[in-house]
Amino acid sequence: MGAGRRAVVVIAALGSFLAVSLAGTALAQSVGSSAGPSNSGPIDFVEGTIADLNTVNPWKALTTQEYEVIGMNFDMLENFDKANLSAAPGLATSWTQSPDALTWTFTIRGDAKWQDGQPVTADDIAYTYNTTLQCQLGNSLDYLVPDYTKSIEATSPTTLVWTMNTPNTAPVRPPWVYIVPKHIWDGKPCSDIKKDPFFDNGKMIGSGPFQMTEWVKGESWTMTANKDYWGGAPQIDRFIVKHYNNAEAMVTALKQGEIDYTGTPSIALFNQISQENGANGITAHLGPTSGFDQMSFNMCDPSAADAAPYCKRTGGTGNPILQDVTVRKAIEMAIDKQTLVDKVLQGTGSIGSTIVPWPQYHLDPPDAIQFSISGANALLDQAGYTDTDGDGIRNDPKSGQNLEFRFILRSDSDYGAQLGQYISGWLKQIGIKTINTVETTNKLTNDWYDNDYDMYIWGWYPDPDPDFILSTFTSHQCGSWSDTCYSNPEYDQMYKAQQTAQSQQQRVDIINQMQQKIYDDIPEIVLEYNRTTELYNSAKWAGLEDNQSPQPEGTLWSQYTPYSALTVHLRGNEAASTSSGGIPAIAWVGIIAVVGIVVAGVIGVSRRRSASDEDMA
Amino acid sequence: MGTQRYLLGKVVQLVITLFFVLTFTFFLFHYFMPGDPVRTFLKAAGAKYTPAQAEQLKHEFGLDQPIFPNQYVRFLKETATLHMGASTIIYPDSSVTSIFWSRVGKSLILITTSTIASIVIGVAMGIYGGWRRGGWVDNSSMSSSLVLYAMPEFVLGMILLLIFSRWLGWFPAGGYDGAPVTQYTGFAHFADVANHMALPWLTLMLAYLGEFYLLMRSSLLDVLGEEYITLARAKGVREKYVLRRHAVRNALLPTVTLIALSFGFILGGVITVEIVFSYPGVGLLSYQALRARDFPVLQATFLFAAVAVLIANLIADLTYAYLDPRVRSA
Repeated sequence: MGAGRRAVVVIAALGSFLAVSLAGTALAQSVGSSAGPSNSGPIDFVEGTIADLNTVNPWKALTTQEYEVIGMNFDMLENFDKANLSAAPGLATSWTQSPDALTWTFTIRGDAKWQDGQPVTADDIAYTYNTTLQCQLGNSLDYLVPDYTKSIEATSPTTLVWTMNTPNTAPVRPPWVYIVPKHIWDGKPCSDIKKDPFFDNGKMIGSGPFQMTEWVKGESWTMTANKDYWGGAPQIDRFIVKHYNNAEAMVTALKQGEIDYTGTPSIALFNQISQENGANGITAHLGPTSGFDQMSFNMCDPSAADAAPYCKRTGGTGNPILQDVTVRKAIEMAIDKQTLVDKVLQGTGSIGSTIVPWPQYHLDPPDAIQFSISGANALLDQAGYTDTDGDGIRNDPKSGQNLEFRFILRSDSDYGAQLGQYISGWLKQIGIKTINTVETTNKLTNDWYDNDYDMYIWGWYPDPDPDFILSTFTSHQCGSWSDTCYSNPEYDQMYKAQQTAQSQQQRVDIINQMQQKIYDDIPEIVLEYNRTTELYNSAKWAGLEDNQSPQPEGTLWSQYTPYSALTVHLRGNEAASTSSGGIPAIAWVGIIAVVGIVVAGVIGVSRRRSASDEDMA
Repeated sequence: MGTQRYLLGKVVQLVITLFFVLTFTFFLFHYFMPGDPVRTFLKAAGAKYTPAQAEQLKHEFGLDQPIFPNQYVRFLKETATLHMGASTIIYPDSSVTSIFWSRVGKSLILITTSTIASIVIGVAMGIYGGWRRGGWVDNSSMSSSLVLYAMPEFVLGMILLLIFSRWLGWFPAGGYDGAPVTQYTGFAHFADVANHMALPWLTLMLAYLGEFYLLMRSSLLDVLGEEYITLARAKGVREKYVLRRHAVRNALLPTVTLIALSFGFILGGVITVEIVFSYPGVGLLSYQALRARDFPVLQATFLFAAVAVLIANLIADLTYAYLDPRVRSA
């Protein structure tokens, strides 16, 4: 037996020994630490999402995922009512308004604790509100109505006093501001607070039912139950979110039991699962209207007397023909919104009308524009837009130009391009030509900032309180949140009026008028409202469907105030943990052993060389 | 002494090339890429950003300086000292180096193991196929290699995902491991990661296997027609030594060069494969940073890609020098 062959045998023997010992270790470990009977591992509720988590700074929250985490980690002064999203007790148990309507007094509960054990007092709330105002922090600023707030003070550990200079119902909208602990943040300069990543610095200390304890960026984030929560301990130990990059993989994971819930499947996947009628124990839940898709027109005309300030400064390239409301009305008349709901949304939505979708404030316009190609054609004929050069496209009577408009669709939208295609087709029938381009959100943002567009399609998920979405049509929001740079002094006045309305009924009346005004002026067309689509493992989990928010039609999870986070629990005696999927560890031992033996064999063979490498036959 | 000089020369070449690559991409981004990160951020964040605050934000991002020379010099300094700052859009205020380091190891394991396996198996098969030309093994390898070579990596990835994850359920649908739901340690964790990496690994390995097989095979066939092979046979050298000592060593030379050239494409393939399998590596990070115009993160990923390709080429150069003594003494 040559030296080489002996070496091979030794290596092979070593390899087998290694394999056997690894096998033993693997067996021992997998029995010990992986999923076992229900009382061994923590009870985890796992969500899958396509949208990644970007920041957990409560003042920077924007996306659903961010609000989900922050909403569980922190409390608000008042919660969103479970049924109708109005103000309900949160950290404040009750409140009164002074007879002159200028002062609101809140009683703060005494049993709330920060997740580091310190008690929550009215001081923390006053600190948070005042810091938000002074440092001009984030998107919650509007809720504190800086123009009308005179002072916010804690007069005792359990009393908060909010004084206005004008009567206002803002304190009971409710204010969407998350309360942070004064003892951690007090004294920090505004710039530090603005830039603080919160979790990375160990500052995710709130008073909510869960606390973020782990974040592997891009992959997953974990929230651990706060058993001392004033609203009761959650019935799960951890809430975990796993990030996926494509919806198919995510839904596959749901079916395989790797995740328990997802709120972001595409419409096609949602319908597919709906039709499977509970196979794999998955329930498809269609929720309330939560947002809308809109077709916006460029309303910036720098030469107009009441053009928005930003529009005057920046100028724009919007086609002047679109400044004529008759043209915009004809366009809206030519769009068959029902077809969009049926074909593009595949039934997961409803026809759009006004800019406020939530039932509590939504106005159904009494003279809604009906789909009618002939009606649209008649309207344009009457207004003098006839086809003077016979090319099938109508001409502007003043300039002689074709009615040809640039139409931007977003590539990042699931179905934006589809909406655009349908609409282009209908507009062709009324003699309007569109030049469609598909752009990334980035590029569209640039064009929008430059007012360099004619029409585009985008969408909104408005807050439960309509103040914000209404504010986006005011003139000073041009260059900030305004979709169109629509500018109308009468509308601006109405916006101020609803903010300072003395009673809820008065406010509702003004808001209805505002919706009607936008509906009549058509700076944008609300194409359709979309409903939330959720999938979850109903065979394993209970406590969700009976705790929807709002009601009667609400979402099962990721609610404005997380009610279902406290009620979700395992059905029966199901095993707690989910498997990770894949072939068993033993198989990997085998694979490694085989690879090791092959490599050893190759090395052994190639070492077997005689003295002379030019052996003769 | 000659080898040392050769090595030093190659390293200096690497640094100079790196400098040019980074300069080129810097200007490409800042001048030619549409989309302004400040505006993207403002549109997303909105709130009451007054024009003054928007300017302040621009200043914080360092974008109010002239692109050349201020921003460029800053870019070079940051890259040289590896102080990449904080992410602006994807994970606002989180340090770029921390984001990057958590991802780079995962990509490196995937790329190096699959590329090595691909090269070793592809070259071995190519040698066998070239040597035993016309046999059934050669013909079947040839056709499957052509199919693999022609197929884009992400299509292959999606097919494997469909078959092995969706239908057979053998492997998970994506990600790096089952954490934090599962809390494995030691070998059990290794097996968990292996399960998650199996399909992306297989995809990358198969995607380039075809190419290396075809390269080696055709290179070997070329060499087998050379005169010194005929001479060796005439001298009476045994067939397996003709193959090993004469044919393969010479055939490997062009193959090594071409493999090094394909490394850039492998990195590109890694990006698409990571997207398909939601594998949290540098490829996926590059994609996210590019979409968001997050310049600090993009700087880091570009540096990584440039250095990786250049190092791969350096290794190829050195391998070439090792295989071919003529190069060393030149």
